[in-house]
Amino acid sequence: MEENIKFLRSGILAPIKKWGTHWSLWPVHLVTACCGAELAHAFASGYDGERIGALNYGIARQTNLIIVEGAITRKMARVLRITWEQMPDPKFVIIMGTCGLNGGVFWNSYHLVKPFEVVPVNYFIPGCPSTPEALLRGIRQLQNEIRTGEPRSSIEFEKVDLGKGKMMPVTPKSPKKISLAPSIVVNVPRKADEETKKLADEISKLGLATTVTGKNRIALRVEKDELVDAAKKLQNFGFDHVKNVNVIDVPNEDKFIVEYHLGSYSKRELMPVVLNLFTELPRSEPKLKSLAKIFPSADYMEREMHDFFGVVFEGNEWMGRKFLLAPDTPEYPLKKDFKLEEEKYLR
Amino acid sequence: MEYEIKVPVQPPTELQSLFIPIPPEYVEEVYRSEDFLVLVGPQHPGSGHMRLIVRVHGDIIREVIPDPGYVHRCVEKIAENRLYIQNIPLVERPSIMDALNFNLGYVRAIEDALEVEVPKRAKYIRTMLAEICRIGTHLYDAAILAVFLGHTTGFMYPFGIRELICEVLVRITGARFTSSFIIPGGVRRDVDEQTLKFVYETTFAIEKRLKSFERIFIKNPTVIARLKDVGVLTKEEAIKFGVVGPFLRASGVEYDVRKVEPYEAYGELDWDIPVADAGDSYSRFLVRVNEISQSLKIVRQCIKNMPEEKLKDFRGTFFDEFADIVLPQGEFTTLTEASRGTLIYSIVSDGESNVPYRMRMITPGWLYLRGFMESLKGERLADLQAIYGSFGYFPPEADR
Repeated sequence: MEENIKFLRSGILAPIKKWGTHWSLWPVHLVTACCGAELAHAFASGYDGERIGALNYGIARQTNLIIVEGAITRKMARVLRITWEQMPDPKFVIIMGTCGLNGGVFWNSYHLVKPFEVVPVNYFIPGCPSTPEALLRGIRQLQNEIRTGEPRSSIEFEKVDLGKGKMMPVTPKSPKKISLAPSIVVNVPRKADEETKKLADEISKLGLATTVTGKNRIALRVEKDELVDAAKKLQNFGFDHVKNVNVIDVPNEDKFIVEYHLGSYSKRELMPVVLNLFTELPRSEPKLKSLAKIFPSADYMEREMHDFFGVVFEGNEWMGRKFLLAPDTPEYPLKKDFKLEEEKYLR
Repeated sequence: MEYEIKVPVQPPTELQSLFIPIPPEYVEEVYRSEDFLVLVGPQHPGSGHMRLIVRVHGDIIREVIPDPGYVHRCVEKIAENRLYIQNIPLVERPSIMDALNFNLGYVRAIEDALEVEVPKRAKYIRTMLAEICRIGTHLYDAAILAVFLGHTTGFMYPFGIRELICEVLVRITGARFTSSFIIPGGVRRDVDEQTLKFVYETTFAIEKRLKSFERIFIKNPTVIARLKDVGVLTKEEAIKFGVVGPFLRASGVEYDVRKVEPYEAYGELDWDIPVADAGDSYSRFLVRVNEISQSLKIVRQCIKNMPEEKLKDFRGTFFDEFADIVLPQGEFTTLTEASRGTLIYSIVSDGESNVPYRMRMITPGWLYLRGFMESLKGERLADLQAIYGSFGYFPPEADR
């Protein structure tokens, strides 16, 4: 086996193999994130990557190149590794975008990994997103490497001695001001038009206490056990779908606020209204009845909130299992006691 | 005569190592019945990654379980750790071809909280940019649909038109995709007359090219054959599963945030909502094609009625002016009609910090995912990609 590989790489047929690889770098389509849009441009009619012998292709086993487009998540890292292992002999990886370099905008995200820790990387293409020109330039550099055997950077910058620059004696403080004892109130009353007030009064007649929190925005607080009843009443009133399920973690008051934003598609006068039906839960025992049976549109968002906060929606069949996050993600990452890495200001 | 064939059925052990999020009992049950489980994805020919776990009987789809999260980049958590203005570039990353709509929704939530009055000219510029992005996104989705149907020319053509959109965005904002151009209280800088004239002329160039695209792809009999009567969502189903945007309108519900709760300049302009009744893949596609022509109309009106006003140029002073924004206490929710549907931002503030206490962002893709899964039931496996394309499902947008 070793001998065969050596023969392929440096035997008498090696130049032919090199030539073939050079002009048929068909990168496997691993559209991992937003840079995919620029990749599509690079291979579409505007920039036409095919003229330099590269064309996007769907199958990992017949390619020599992976272009990682941007961020690699924990879930995707496995797929990237499997794809890389399936590739035939000369294996090349190009990473596109800043996310693959050092994280970019998402540098302290809990769900991302650095692609260069997963697979060996040949070229990095900077930019957020990198332009199609930059991507094609990266492919040209790789072709150059295949032909000459030496990797080369496409641009060489003038060297600057970093040690000599003046450092500030005291590094600046972070501009962030974070309240140590935040008080979270979701239903702060605000000015609104007459129609919204009228509607809020009508809903109040159902036996539910409402607050007007803005134009077309009404908040409605219920106790945990009354949530299902209130939802049924509101469904009869005309609200027919859930726009948003949200959980707010308030550790200093030891509670979760669970919100359902209801909306209506079938009643014209309710169409612009967003009704915030919310309740509070103790942090130690975050359990409440699911509304997914009444509003099927809430189903996936309840699963997502279970992933993020560990709130159990009893009656939703997906509880206790991960839906959006990878199995090896830290537990309940959106809780306030899970802290992300802070940025450091140097100068 | 019937023969009983006794073959020991064992679910494959790889299922565990493949990270399948469904319980092993479900897999065993499928293996013991006459059905099969087909894993579609996560590697996809078109638009980002997600896995569909499809249970088929013969080639009829019985149930589809989505496995999203391959592009989940934790926008919500990161937003809690950055200044309000630092989140502007962050929120547009999930869907970069639709960046300005995403940008607009977030900025409107801040403006709503601070009760900032936006100059009229800035409103018109924002409306124009949002519509340009809408055209771009619909073209992108049309191209991806073409890839899913195996129609290469149908992919190349919209991307050719998209180059014009990118050119327009470069001239106005300076970036092809992610421009972060919209800021609280207006836009980063004014747009000059010459650029506006270029945009105006480009709308006609796009319209002309769209006519040939109609001949090549939209009215192509093979395309109609693949999409017509496939993946039907009735009006009741669409409402029940909370489908949004053009996909809701394709099922006969006349709901568009731009009409029901007009923001920016939409209330002052003359345009219609395209609606279809069939609810199948083809009408979902046609609604978006018609929306492109409505958007072109809006862009032209914006340029013609653009008020003369001097806008402040924020270059150089942006951070100093906006770094210390503190929102009043409470929750601020805005609805925005992004290209693929309703986009919801809900910012919770404690009234003292200059970072959001919680920012909830719900993208249209995440909202219509349930409807998309339901529309697949009862269809043939071969039509799965056609339905996928007709929804324009973009995982980076849905997972955030």
